[in-house]
Amino acid sequence: MSGRAGGEGAGRGGGAGTRARTGLHEGIYEVFARKRRGDPLRHIGYIDAPGDELARVYAWKTYDEENWFEMCVVPRGAVIPVNRSDGPWAANRPGAGGGGAGRGGGGDAA
Amino acid sequence: MSVPGPLARHILSLADTKRLLGIRYSDWILGSPSLETGIAASAMAQDEWGHARLLYSMLKRLGFDPVAVEQDRPAERYYSAPALDVPFPDWAAFVAATVVVDGALAVALESFSHGDFALARSRVPKMLAEEEYHHQFGAAWFARLAGARFEGARRLEAAARAALPSTLAWLLPEDSDYETIVAEGRVRPGAQVRERFEDRVGATLALAGLRIGEIEPARVGWDPERRRGPGAPGEEAVERARGDRNRALFVE
Repeated sequence: MSGRAGGEGAGRGGGAGTRARTGLHEGIYEVFARKRRGDPLRHIGYIDAPGDELARVYAWKTYDEENWFEMCVVPRGAVIPVNRSDGPWAANRPGAGGGGAGRGGGGDAA
Repeated sequence: MSVPGPLARHILSLADTKRLLGIRYSDWILGSPSLETGIAASAMAQDEWGHARLLYSMLKRLGFDPVAVEQDRPAERYYSAPALDVPFPDWAAFVAATVVVDGALAVALESFSHGDFALARSRVPKMLAEEEYHHQFGAAWFARLAGARFEGARRLEAAARAALPSTLAWLLPEDSDYETIVAEGRVRPGAQVRERFEDRVGATLALAGLRIGEIEPARVGWDPERRRGPGAPGEEAVERARGDRNRALFVE
């Protein structure tokens, strides 16, 4: 319905990929999908959700402009950075010290 | 519109409830707690309207003009569940309706899809697949609010408790029309439908201290013609359901 690109602005959240806005904690989930069996799974964006179940619903309803063969969500904090220590995934890992790029902060994400 | 028979009344009951539920969901597209929640509310509203359109179209098989059914009826001729007669006053009411009313609709549709009406057998399964996301949304949000220490938990419990009696009566009508469509093999008997409803939403409602078995269906003032309790949806909602203002813009 209204896809949200992973690389849009920085500045919200940070920390360990979760944030407290009104006392109800939400976390950032990266969204991956493939159109056809055998296609590479590619990063299509992110969503904020308070837990895995709502993350699944929000991702499916937000990125529904394609007839996806497969979609999955990954908590941003679960992504292990390999070669960068300054990208959004690294900045949002637990224990990373916070203050990172926040939501979709860097073009590296995809 | 001529007087509908038992099967047509059942279809109208499902279709009108979906149409009104879509309107009530749409009220929260821009007012929900987060952008993602608003997008989900929008998608759920569109799902409900799409399902309603498919259900109305089934009436053609029974000799009714679906366009007239959708566009020409006054509020007092609507068959929708009474819990949707007025807008949701707050987010807790939205969440409660997602579990109680949307849950009842899903169970009623599941029953219909297992009957011998061919159009229901072929069209309803896809609706039920889409309803699974509504189910997950409702269950997750209900658990979230029920577990909160704030005002939300109290309002959630009150909203669900208010919606249940009339919705149970809507889901489990004790009238001759429903007995007829059960006897014709169109839908499951009420006892089975009730059991399925408890399976689907019982554990979720229990998070707010609600036990379905302790809730008495509100059967006072039952209108067998409209297959619902007393009252009618608000005129403003019915204008939107019929598309009055949009059609007024048409240029012949």
